[in-house]
Parts: sequence; structure tokens; C-alpha cells
Amino acid sequence: MSNYKILNNDVHKDLRVNTSRSAQLGDNIMYTMTFPMEFRDIQSCYPIFFCKDPESGQLYPAALLGFEQDQNLFLSDSGWDATYIPLMVRRHPFLIGFQADPDGSEAAIKPVVSIDSDNPRVIHSTGKDSDEGEALFNQDGTPSDFLQTSIGTLESIHRGLEHNKGFIAALLEYELLESFSLEITLNDGSNNQLKGFYTIAEEKLQSLDGDTLAKFNAQGYLQSIFMAIASFARLRPMIDKKNAQLA
Amino acid sequence: MNQKINRVIIVGGGTAGWLTAGVIAAEHCIGSQNSTQEDSFQLTLVESPDIATIGVGEGTWPSMRSTLQKMGIAETDFFRECSASFKQGTLFKGWRTGADDIYTHPFTAPQNYNEVNLAPHWQTAREQINFAQAVSPQSALFADKLAPKQISTPEYAFNVNYGYHLDAAKFAKFLRKHCVEKLGVTHIKANVTGINSADNGDIASIATDSHGNIEGDLFIDCSGSRALLLGDHFGIPVCSKSDILFNNTALAAQIPYTNEDDPIESCTLSTAQSAGWIWEIGLPTRRGVGHVYSSDHNTEERASEELLSYIASTVSEQAAAAATLRKVQFRPGHRAKFWHKNCVAIGMSAGFIEPLEASALVLVELSAAMIAEQLPANRGVMDLVAKRFNDKFLYRWDRIIEFLKLHYVLSQRRDTEYWRDNCEASSIPEQLTDLLALWRHQSPWHRDTNNADDMFPSASFQYVLYGMDFKTLPNQTQRRSERADQQRAGRLFQENAALTQQLKTSLPTNRDLINKIHTFGFQKI
Repeated sequence: MSNYKILNNDVHKDLRVNTSRSAQLGDNIMYTMTFPMEFRDIQSCYPIFFCKDPESGQLYPAALLGFEQDQNLFLSDSGWDATYIPLMVRRHPFLIGFQADPDGSEAAIKPVVSIDSDNPRVIHSTGKDSDEGEALFNQDGTPSDFLQTSIGTLESIHRGLEHNKGFIAALLEYELLESFSLEITLNDGSNNQLKGFYTIAEEKLQSLDGDTLAKFNAQGYLQSIFMAIASFARLRPMIDKKNAQLA
Repeated sequence: MNQKINRVIIVGGGTAGWLTAGVIAAEHCIGSQNSTQEDSFQLTLVESPDIATIGVGEGTWPSMRSTLQKMGIAETDFFRECSASFKQGTLFKGWRTGADDIYTHPFTAPQNYNEVNLAPHWQTAREQINFAQAVSPQSALFADKLAPKQISTPEYAFNVNYGYHLDAAKFAKFLRKHCVEKLGVTHIKANVTGINSADNGDIASIATDSHGNIEGDLFIDCSGSRALLLGDHFGIPVCSKSDILFNNTALAAQIPYTNEDDPIESCTLSTAQSAGWIWEIGLPTRRGVGHVYSSDHNTEERASEELLSYIASTVSEQAAAAATLRKVQFRPGHRAKFWHKNCVAIGMSAGFIEPLEASALVLVELSAAMIAEQLPANRGVMDLVAKRFNDKFLYRWDRIIEFLKLHYVLSQRRDTEYWRDNCEASSIPEQLTDLLALWRHQSPWHRDTNNADDMFPSASFQYVLYGMDFKTLPNQTQRRSERADQQRAGRLFQENAALTQQLKTSLPTNRDLINKIHTFGFQKI
């Protein structure tokens, strides 16, 4: 369970964060939320699909990392094997305060950085001699470079969440999303079925009129749409990766 | 006789009127049909500004989902504006013995119903598990007051089949707005003061107090039990069914929840009384509770005592003390025919019967759908369509009446005259008597409902029969087909048990999902 607390340079001065990538640290995820602003980087590594938050039914774009629950094909013994790691993966163990925070209602008002002190990345060091992971604060209590980068990540996510709302609303308005299921047959004959995902409805896209396309272009959505479509090409390397693991 | 049927006038603006308007307008493009204005299809609804709607029918069948969808209504809007809730079936209490006996009639048919008849295979296990729970996960879900789907399920789609409970007054308003703003229905607020006949006896126009004469080619009478056009004007009589179904009076009350987040039932509750039964319908905002009874078998005083005691025991003493009862009287029955000349009745003007299986709204849907589908091209073929319509709906009324009667004749209750009278052979339609004789030896199956006009599938008969502890005897001969099905049936029972568990852990409560619909809404995909 998560245990988010507002980050404080006194209470949390000795905390360090393990930044390596492994299943033990919670990186064994099948997909993660992504944002149009990082689509360019995402599509060079991962397929972009859309899925629903089970709690709200709201759609969001997601980078696919595996073919079944808890499977991340980009994780290996030596870490995360890709040139770009999604923002939502990099944010851990932090959370920006006005995201849904089940513990702190007052924190939902202004943007504050929270930390999940129960996250396996968090190292509760007792002495000051530990140099495992990254420190959050410098000796004088100012944020470390690592923390500043993390705060930058959180700010990007905050903007990205807002951007997603408009992007998804536009896709839904023009019925540009459709559900799809994908059956992947691996070399050993096993089948993996991807269900509950949505993708760009290309026929609908091709029938959009010029005005709508111009509007989408001005909003930056057009590029995001085509990047999502192009990202499909990343499925093949993932299947190859999985087959290589089976071999 | 070649007069085109382009101007349809609906008289009456209750649920029946607006639902009919919506169904017809969803099929026929208003105003844009033909090249010239005169030729274009027009749909006008004339509603009295002075007459309050009765608000009959707060429960629907699953058919309402596609009815709303065809009209282009977003399910989220419907939930938010009509105080709608999910209905997954009915839970009957006290019908069998009058004690604490319970059985259910879920909307979902038994597992693989199209291929295997599970009823004979269940007979051997009937002491261990009740029929509905053995063959469908749904009863267990509504016993736990769960929803039939998740917030991530697209609108109108489901994990298990569902209809709705709704606030009828809000529903009529909601449909009116949609019909007028989205579907191009013309809305006239006026009182009908007279009817002007054409030479052939048709209705040429209706006279109104504020809009003069309103001419039309087809008049749909949705004026309620008074039946202004079909009854008052044409004099088509009501065929009374009070010799079969005795209930003719209802006392209704709206009971608030004790706490805002109290659970909402996701089925209709029907609890048998000394001379009738009490319904309970859970909306997000309130409960609708009512006692429908036979005034020949019960006094109003005693009926209201029974209702208040029900409210006191299921909700609270305070709720019972604060309850205001509204009395509605009706003559159980239907018109001798529904379509006469250029006038057709839909809703209470066509007939009314106790709401035991929520047949009121579904009959409106079916009637409107048939008119929408078979709208006569001209006056010449109208009589042919009218005959078909009358045949079909007379058949349907008979089947509804038999199905309702089935609930009573299976009862073992003999504690009051009401229950004893209900089992008098003279009160039971002949076809029902025959079917019951047959079902002693073979369980209902697709062969029993092979007519496209049958409203209750054979699965519904199975749920009521076996829920009421009816015994179908084993086959006299060893059947090869039954032996072949036996293994498969065993597997289906197991699958059903597994599915029940899986759905019980994954579905939200009815209240929880309705809150989420209000916050987030359903997706269309």
C-alpha cells in the first residue's frame, strides 16, 4: 500500500531513493500512462495504446511494456533496456500533491510534492554515511539535483494530465478511438491476448474534413495521433524480445 | 385512400406519449424526408398544460436500453436526469407460503440457454441450490445489491443483462427535451376540446382551446386511462380481466433513504401480502414503495396498515409515520382493440394491469416500435396494418395476463380468500391450465415460446415455476439426448458458480456505480 506524505526537508532529510530498475522495485508493469508531450520519445520504443482507468472509466494514452499482467519486456537483470523511460515510471516514489491523494485532503489544493515512504525505492538510512541511491536534500537542506529533476518530472506530468484531458475529449468527440484486441502467437505456440485496449480508428481519421484536421493541427493533436499510429511498429520488436526470452 | 400518412399527432404527454414520440422520431426523419415541405413527415405531440401525468411504470425491461440508444440518448444523461438506477430482475418474497420464502427472476437467461436446457438437470440438485442461483450468476449479484457492470464498461453494454428503475415524472420531461431539441418533434401545449370527424369516420382533426384545430393523418391516443380518442370518441370498450387478475387498487409512497449512502437495491422487491403484494423500487434519491391489492378482498384501511408496517420493518418507524400514501384505482384489462380507423392507443389508454412484471413501459416500447416500423404509407393500407397491430397486441396482452396469473396459481398460500380465489379453476385462463399440465412432464423450453410476439421467453417461465417450487416429473423414458447433455450440464453449473464468484468480487455496488456515473459518466466505447 502507498503511504504518501508531503515532502519535508526536515522529516525526510535522510531519505534516499534507489533509482535502479527492477521488478522488486515495482517496474514489472504491463503498461503505463503516457502524455502527448513525450509521444515522440515513447513511440521510438513502445507501442502507444489507450486504456481506461478502472476507477473512473476515463481513457488515457498508455505505453505498452508487456503482454500480460506484471510483465515488462524491457526489464532485464541489467535494468531497463530502452533509450527512453516513461515519465510515469520515473516519477516514483513521488507524487504531485493535487493528484488524487487518498490520505491528504488538504494537499489536494496546492501543488506540493509528496513521497510514498512505503515505496520499495525509498531507503530509510539511519546513518549519514550511506551512499546507496540518490539523496533528496543537500547538507544545507536545499533540494538535491536528483530531487529537482524529479520535481521537473512531476511538473511535466501535471501538464501532461491536463493535456490528456483535451486530447482524449477531442478523440472521443470525433469517434477516433476504437476498441481492439490483439492476439499474439509466440514461437512456442502460446497465445497472448491483449484485451481492454483502444487504438486510433484510422478509417474515421481518414474521413475527417479539412477544417477538423486544421483544428487538430493547431492544437498539436494531429502529430500525436500519427505518432500513436506509427508506434504500432514497436509491437514487432516486443514480440521478438519475448520470443528471445522463450528460446 | 391514397392520402399519405405524413402527419402523426400524439395526444398526451406522459411517459407513454413522449416515449412513443421518441421511438417514432428516432426512425422517421422529421421535416427532411421529402423534397417539398408539404410532403415531409411531421410528428406533433399535444399535451394538456393542466393534467398531471400519472407517472406509471418506474421499472423497465432490458429492452429500454436499445430503445434509448436508438433515440440517440447518452446513457449517462439518462442516469443523471431521470434518477435512474439499475434493475437486474425481481426478488419475490412470501409468494410461495407467505412465510420467509424467497425466489428470484433475473433478467439473464440460464447459462447457454440456446443450447442446453438445464432445468431437468437441476431437478436432482433442487434440495441443495435454488434454480436461479444454479443457472445464472445474476441473483447472487442483486442479493448483494451489486451493479450489473463497471464504470469502464461502455454505455448500454453489460456484464449481466439489465433494465432500469427510474423517476417517471423526470423521465417524461427528459424525453420531451430530447424529442423537441434533438428529434424535431413539435410540442403543443393545449387542452383537447373536441374531435372533428372526416366523412369516412376517421379523425380529421382535434379541436383545442389554444391552438385551434390540429389536423393529422394518424392519431396516437396516449391520453391515459380516459382514452380520449379510442375510448371517449370511438367507444372501443375495455375488456375487463378482473376475473383473472384481482388487483385493482394501489397505494403508493415515496420513502427517503435514512442515510444518503444507503445501499440501493438492484432488483425490484415484490413481497406478497394478505390480498396483494408490495413493490419496492430503489432509486438513487428515494425508494418507491407501493401496495397493489384487490379491493374486493381487502379494505383500504387494512391495505395501508400492511404497507406502513412493511415500511416500518424494512426502513424505519419514522419513515412509516412520515409516509404520505397516494391512491390509484384501475380496472385491470385492455381495450377490445387498440387501433381503430386512424387512431391507435398506447399506454394506459390501451390497457392497464398490475405492475407485477413491469409490463407497462415495455408495451409502450413495442407498440411505438411497431408503428415506427410499419407506419402505413397511405390510408389505403392503414387498415391492414391496424389489423396486424390488433392481432399482435391482443396476443401479447393474453400472454402477459397468463404470465402474471402464473405467479398466483403456483402459490401454496391458502391463508386468505384472495389466495384461495386465485387458485379457483374458473379464474385461470385455459391455455395456462394446459401449459401447467404439460409442464408437469416437461420443463418449459424454446418450443413453448416459438412465436416472435411472445414477450416472456421460456426462461422466464422456468424461473417462476422452479422458483415457486413447481415439480416437473422425470422423463418416463431414458432419453439419449438427456444423457448426452448431462456432463455438459454439470460443467455449466460449475462454470456458473465460478462466474458468480468472479463477478461478485469484481462488480461495484449499485450505489457506487451510480455515483461514478454522476461523477465521470460512461464512455461510448
